[in-house]
Amino acid sequence: MEASLFDAAIKGFFNILQLKVFFAMLIGVSIGTFTAVAPQGLGMPLVYAILLPVVIKWEPVTGIALLIGASSVSAICAAYLPILFGIPGGSGSQATVLDGYPMGKKGEGRRALGASFMAGGMGCLIGTLTLIIAIPAAKPLIYLMGSPELFVIMLWGLSMVAVLAGRRPIKGLIAAALGLMIATVGQQAQSGIMRYVFDQPYLLDGMAISIIALALFGIPSALDLALTKLGVEQQAVPLKGSLFDGIKDTLREWWLVVRCSFVGVWVGIVPGLGSQVVDWLAYGHAAQSAKVGRENFGKGDVRGVIAPESANDAKDGGDLVTTLLLGFPQGVTTALFIVALLAWGYLPGPEMIKKNADMIYSIVWIQGIAGITGTLVGFLLAAQLAKLAEVRYTFMVPIMFIFILLGAFSVNRDPLDLVVVVGFGILGYFMRRSGYPRPAMILGLVLGDLMEKYLYRSVASYGFSWLARPAVIVLLALAALSLFFTLRGQMRARKEASASTFSGAVARSASES
Amino acid sequence: VKRLERFKLPDRETDGPAQQGYVVITIISAVILVLIFVAEAAIGQSFYEGKTITMIAGTEPGGTLDMRTKALTHFLKKHIPGEPTIITEHMPGAGGRKAANYMYRVARPDGLTIGTPVSGFLMLAVLKEPGVDYDIHKFIYLGAPDGVAHYIFHSRKEASLSNLEKLRAASGVRIGAQNVGHTIYVVGRLFAYALGLKDARFVTGYSGVELDAALVRGEIDARPNLAETLIRRTPEFVDKGLMDLHGILEAPAGKKHPRFSYLPEIASFARSDKARSVIEMFRASRTTGGPYILPPGTPKERADVLKEAVRKTFNDPAYQTEYKKLVGDDLAPVTADDVEKAIKALKPDAEMIELYKKIAGPGALPIQ
Repeated sequence: MEASLFDAAIKGFFNILQLKVFFAMLIGVSIGTFTAVAPQGLGMPLVYAILLPVVIKWEPVTGIALLIGASSVSAICAAYLPILFGIPGGSGSQATVLDGYPMGKKGEGRRALGASFMAGGMGCLIGTLTLIIAIPAAKPLIYLMGSPELFVIMLWGLSMVAVLAGRRPIKGLIAAALGLMIATVGQQAQSGIMRYVFDQPYLLDGMAISIIALALFGIPSALDLALTKLGVEQQAVPLKGSLFDGIKDTLREWWLVVRCSFVGVWVGIVPGLGSQVVDWLAYGHAAQSAKVGRENFGKGDVRGVIAPESANDAKDGGDLVTTLLLGFPQGVTTALFIVALLAWGYLPGPEMIKKNADMIYSIVWIQGIAGITGTLVGFLLAAQLAKLAEVRYTFMVPIMFIFILLGAFSVNRDPLDLVVVVGFGILGYFMRRSGYPRPAMILGLVLGDLMEKYLYRSVASYGFSWLARPAVIVLLALAALSLFFTLRGQMRARKEASASTFSGAVARSASES
Repeated sequence: VKRLERFKLPDRETDGPAQQGYVVITIISAVILVLIFVAEAAIGQSFYEGKTITMIAGTEPGGTLDMRTKALTHFLKKHIPGEPTIITEHMPGAGGRKAANYMYRVARPDGLTIGTPVSGFLMLAVLKEPGVDYDIHKFIYLGAPDGVAHYIFHSRKEASLSNLEKLRAASGVRIGAQNVGHTIYVVGRLFAYALGLKDARFVTGYSGVELDAALVRGEIDARPNLAETLIRRTPEFVDKGLMDLHGILEAPAGKKHPRFSYLPEIASFARSDKARSVIEMFRASRTTGGPYILPPGTPKERADVLKEAVRKTFNDPAYQTEYKKLVGDDLAPVTADDVEKAIKALKPDAEMIELYKKIAGPGALPIQ
């Protein structure tokens, strides 16, 4: 190494001490905030794609400040929609709707937002710290997990259906099976076989999870407001809780934040997992590991907001570990970030650690500072945006429908997506009325594709000998233990409170309607 | 004509009816010529002035194709008379079929919609795959920026397949790829077919990055990759000798890669005319690159304006620099005529289509 990492860290910090760098970061923060509040189709990849031809003409550190500023804030501020309107945010922030929206309905929207920003900010810092720690030794982390290990972890994730289904295990299994079945639509990657395509080009690539999640949760929420004829926070409950209550909640749950942030970092580091699972894995972990009040998950438990938000924001740090230290992009956004680095003459990967360690540290500093700025911006805006929840339903319901339809259309810009969003919206409404847990279906949908892929790859590469791999055996044992303790906890909770039996995260909230 | 008589020169002895006729014909011809020039100018300049051209990209924002489009638009605008606004609309899905179907069936042939589906949309039509509602011979092609590609077939050092003899002798070599039908998958299958590998096993379902990690972990033994990607993303694979490089597929044929010119070309492995033909079929499809297209029926004058603008853009040094910056590869332009020629040549017989489908499909590889 040409310079010590400490020297590089100092130099990296001095690199960013320029007015224009901070100005660029603030512009990025503004763009990120707008992206977070706008319908979900306006995601970071599109923003990066628009910004890239402009910023590559700038000085590297200024361009990096704009790009990193936008992406880190976008993740932190992604909780507005799920908490205030019950509309899932972009991928990585969908599970927040499970407890965020019930909190909003109980008059605790501000508290939920406070918790979400605080958890997001802390998650972002933990992700950044991990990036700093990982700089000397990142490679083994990435090569540690093979397809067999990842399959077992996905299997472990699927066991969360037990939590999400609660009192209705059969309905939970049916919903999860429906999700798994929908995940099989499209051309199967491994065999090329068309499944449930019916000669429709629209179905060749399968169904978009983001559109289905938007429909399953967003439309029933909008219908809910229309039918009760009340705004989100006009649901006959007094307004209570403040942003500071949310901050206090998060600080009290610091250990949960740390654990879920590591879930996020890990998802960010491992190639192929993607952001769609991060919030669900963290939420499941929080619900499974809760020692007290587990029955409150799905009914407006602040831990159900803290877990997915901290994981989602910590993931960016994990993403950067692989992007900067190995040159492996983890998604479209990081692929575009690599394009920008290449255009500036940097070669992400081991070469960059050797030759441009100061620039890596500049990125780390910017990531950390942007995370703090994003949290502060979130707090500043939250007080104003939270007022939206008090708006009359006659005004709010049409806006929600516009957001849902616009969000669905902007994913692929295909008119058929509007048909799908309406169809799944109706399905979501009836699932909620009949007590079928919608999160179990989303979980099946999210994990189904990954499980199939990892299982296929494991068998194709190792035959059935993958079952004898030590890491697989350990992970299987952990998954079995986790499921055992979850089920035991549920049974105990039932015994302890026969009147208000533990109904599980979402099945219970579903029955509220 | 009567009005023009006011401008007639005084009659001379030689001015007979025949001469008067010539004058009228000359004037009419001149008027027609002026009208043609005015029309051309109107089509070339006034038509695009203040107009908006929509680029239909067949992938999501952020992919290589998107970067190619981004690099092009700013410079293309400069080279179209009237400097129209150019916007990009993304229409990903079905391996480019969605965008191509849109260009064929929905887009108005008015010269204001340019398509850039992923290059695979051509082969999907040649192979008569489902979901193809377009005729590739009816599109109007404007050229392509990426007519050169080099694929390298390599295996991990620990697999002990250091030379071709060992590779051919090994049984059950695990070759990784993205999806069945993906270009990298087809190239891997072509190498296995041409080399006559014994019971090669194809492990799919990876992203490009995951494939590299799987190679290092030993989950797969070999994979093909684009030479430029190999150098850029995993330089240590080559520099530190972590991989054994076995062969190269050059498109177009004979276009050597400056760094890997020593590697044997895939065609040299083939032991039958059939094998050579199917390799050439793939090569031809790759040589067209990812062309820019216009809907069938676009007026010739407007198509010509756009063809010329694309040609000028490809020759613009500033564009070439921008392309290198955004895409990472050097520009390898293919002219509109060359794209059309290559596509006309893409008319394999039924037997060749069958063989290609077997190679690009999921089943066992045919034997040479």
